[in-house]
Amino acid sequence: MREQHLHALLHHLPAGVATLQGLDLRYGYLNKAMQELLGTDVAEGQCVADHPGVLPSDLVDVLHQVYRTGTPYIAKACSLPLPTQEGKESVSRCYDLVLEPVRDEENQDITGLVLFAVDVTQQEEARQRAHTLSMETRRLDARLRVLTETVPQITFSLDAEGLYEYVSPQWYYFTGQPPTADLNAIWPLLIHPDDRLRVLYQGDAARKAGKGWSYEYRLRRHDGQYRWMLSRALPELHAPDQPVFWHGALTEVHDQRELSDALRRGEAELRFLADSIPELIWTATAEGFIDYYNHYTGEYSGLTKEELGPTGWVNLLEPRKQAEAARHWVKSVATGEPFEGLFRMRRHDGQYRWHIIRARQLADERGPRWFGACTDVDDQHRLREVLQVQYDELARTNRDLDTFVYTASHDLKQPLFNLRGLFEELRRSASFDDPEEEQLLSMVDDSLHQLDSTLQELAATVQDQRGLSAPVEKLDLRHITDEVLLGLRAQIQASDATVHVEVTEAPTLLYGRANLRSVLHNLLSNALKFAHPERLPVITLRSYLSKNNKPVLMVQDNGLGMNIPKTSTAAFQPFTRQHPQIGGSGVGLYLVQRILTSRGGRLEVASTMGESTTFTLYWFEA
Amino acid sequence: MNLNHIVYISRAVRPLTDQDLHELLEQCRRDNSKNHITGILFYSHGNIAQLFEGEPEITEALFKRIKRDGRHSHVQKLIDKPIDVRSFPDWHMAFHPLESVGFSQLQGFLMPDRVPAPPSTLTIADAMLIELVRLAVFGTPTEQAFPALPGPTSV
Ligand SMILES: Cc1cc2nc3c(=O)[nH]c(=O)nc-3n(C[C@H](O)[C@H](O)[C@H](O)COP(=O)(O)O)c2cc1C
Repeated sequence: MREQHLHALLHHLPAGVATLQGLDLRYGYLNKAMQELLGTDVAEGQCVADHPGVLPSDLVDVLHQVYRTGTPYIAKACSLPLPTQEGKESVSRCYDLVLEPVRDEENQDITGLVLFAVDVTQQEEARQRAHTLSMETRRLDARLRVLTETVPQITFSLDAEGLYEYVSPQWYYFTGQPPTADLNAIWPLLIHPDDRLRVLYQGDAARKAGKGWSYEYRLRRHDGQYRWMLSRALPELHAPDQPVFWHGALTEVHDQRELSDALRRGEAELRFLADSIPELIWTATAEGFIDYYNHYTGEYSGLTKEELGPTGWVNLLEPRKQAEAARHWVKSVATGEPFEGLFRMRRHDGQYRWHIIRARQLADERGPRWFGACTDVDDQHRLREVLQVQYDELARTNRDLDTFVYTASHDLKQPLFNLRGLFEELRRSASFDDPEEEQLLSMVDDSLHQLDSTLQELAATVQDQRGLSAPVEKLDLRHITDEVLLGLRAQIQASDATVHVEVTEAPTLLYGRANLRSVLHNLLSNALKFAHPERLPVITLRSYLSKNNKPVLMVQDNGLGMNIPKTSTAAFQPFTRQHPQIGGSGVGLYLVQRILTSRGGRLEVASTMGESTTFTLYWFEA
Repeated sequence: MNLNHIVYISRAVRPLTDQDLHELLEQCRRDNSKNHITGILFYSHGNIAQLFEGEPEITEALFKRIKRDGRHSHVQKLIDKPIDVRSFPDWHMAFHPLESVGFSQLQGFLMPDRVPAPPSTLTIADAMLIELVRLAVFGTPTEQAFPALPGPTSV
């Protein structure tokens, strides 16, 4: 009963069991697992050497050896191919094969062998996995070590008590401490005395709270200099809320810190400066929203920064100028072009004062920002206005004086001419008895001569003073025209006139500067003066070359037009007024003609009453 | 009736898709008409700007809700102040959809180039704010910025 039981047990054992008997090692007992392992062509009574099944031949040799020597043998983790089952690929499994000699109970002679085969495939796989894992770990470990020792930061690990477990070699380079230094004793001593207590406290507090930390302190370098360091560490938790280690890095931030200190200082100083200046100063974001007004802006406007708001500055301008300024600012923000303008800005007491508002964009690594200033130029502006008025008045008076002298000398010429005629007549017809009376005649004659020359001198003086006889020079027509138009801007603005200047065909002229100016002034002011009341004046000034390749100037208007007498020169006699309802003397055209003829040129005029007048000036063609 | 208007700019946390914008449009249109909120919202490439007007208690509460909304961040209020009259008759949203089909007929939707100039009921400072905000969202403006503002006064 018991033997049967044992037999069944043996038969179903998960390990393979076989007996091999006799010198030629014939299979004796094979349990189920062994039969499956060795394959079906192995059976009791066969020689191992002839039917090894899956057993490799060297193992068969070993079997014989064990039999001969009586020394047991264990072949560890032998890979044996399992007998192929139909359709399936053959797989190998690992076995520990144990070879035990069996001895005769009496004289201890070896009579056979027992062969055990224990499947260790899983253990073997686990072992393999463990092996690759440890290789990988070793590789990672090496990598980590290389990394921690090559990054510029000092890396460290602390245990739960706050004692240093590890610090990377950089610490020793940085501090100049020998590798034998006692980290826990030395480290605190290397911290700047002003930072030491704070650092120790912050470190302790973070460890007690089981949290990481990030703080800065000064650490003494090997050369004795204290450098700012950033210390950051995180806990390694083994269970929630139970940190075992802190790992961290120490980064030198000295230069950044100095720089940002300097920046902070610089910014504060600049702000102080801006707040001390009695000018309106402001900054705006890249989008054009004002984000800072200096102190004086508040003082001047009587408004708070909140009341002014991101665009409220425009409210300080004169209402009718606000839209223009707003458009201008939006354009500047869109294009990055500087903003500049002259505006009247309302003071807290309601008074408007002239300001130049200027803003420029600064683009640096912090992104574009705008810096603006409003400079009070009210006093200068008023002074300039007064000066301008006085200047204009003086210029007018001057012109009037010239005109007066001309008028006077020409007004007197005709009566003088008449007088001379009458006098000649008198001399011819009258006879005098008294020689003294004869004498009287010649005295009158002398006086008439004198009067004549005085009048001519007078005219010549005006001519000289106005530089009408100055030497010629090469003149830029556009330039001189612009100067003249500037002088006439009041009239141009008042009449809303348009002036086209086309001088590209003959841009320069060899002429007396004052002469040219006088000619242009007279023609243009005439054109403005004799504008048609029902339309805006349009004046065209064109310089071109004649058939003879000589420069010609044409001045055309769309004004009242004039009657041209048969002898065209008559229009240019002084005081021939074409439009008595309009103030001004006829001297202008007379002057123009005189200048032209004196320099060998001529003036032509064509006109349609009520439509237009065209003057053509042939500078050098009589 | 008391009225207030608020203008803010912000950044979308991630670019809003057509779907996101559509949903926002629908929800805002519904809620805003219920709350008598009018105004306009600009969106482009993650840039957001909005003006809305209504009764002070309502605009304040709405701004609080919008500021908390996780779809955007960096919400920066530019202005929050009483106004005399509304400048927008209803509520609109202007953006460039990837697929414009379907959006054009949608009530409350506007193509950015169809956004009307700032109404003349706004002060010039506020009109300029809207123009700057539009510039910040959509980039360089079209030719006719400020057509509603009086032209340059001739001297
Ligand atoms: C850019 C942006 C603009 C918004 N504008 C409005 C708006 O005008 N009106 C509105 O009711 N909700 C608006 N919302 C949605 C609100 O933030 C909020 O989601 C909505 O009012 C629902 O709030 P509740 O879920 O707290 O009720 C906007 C959200 C975003 C991201």
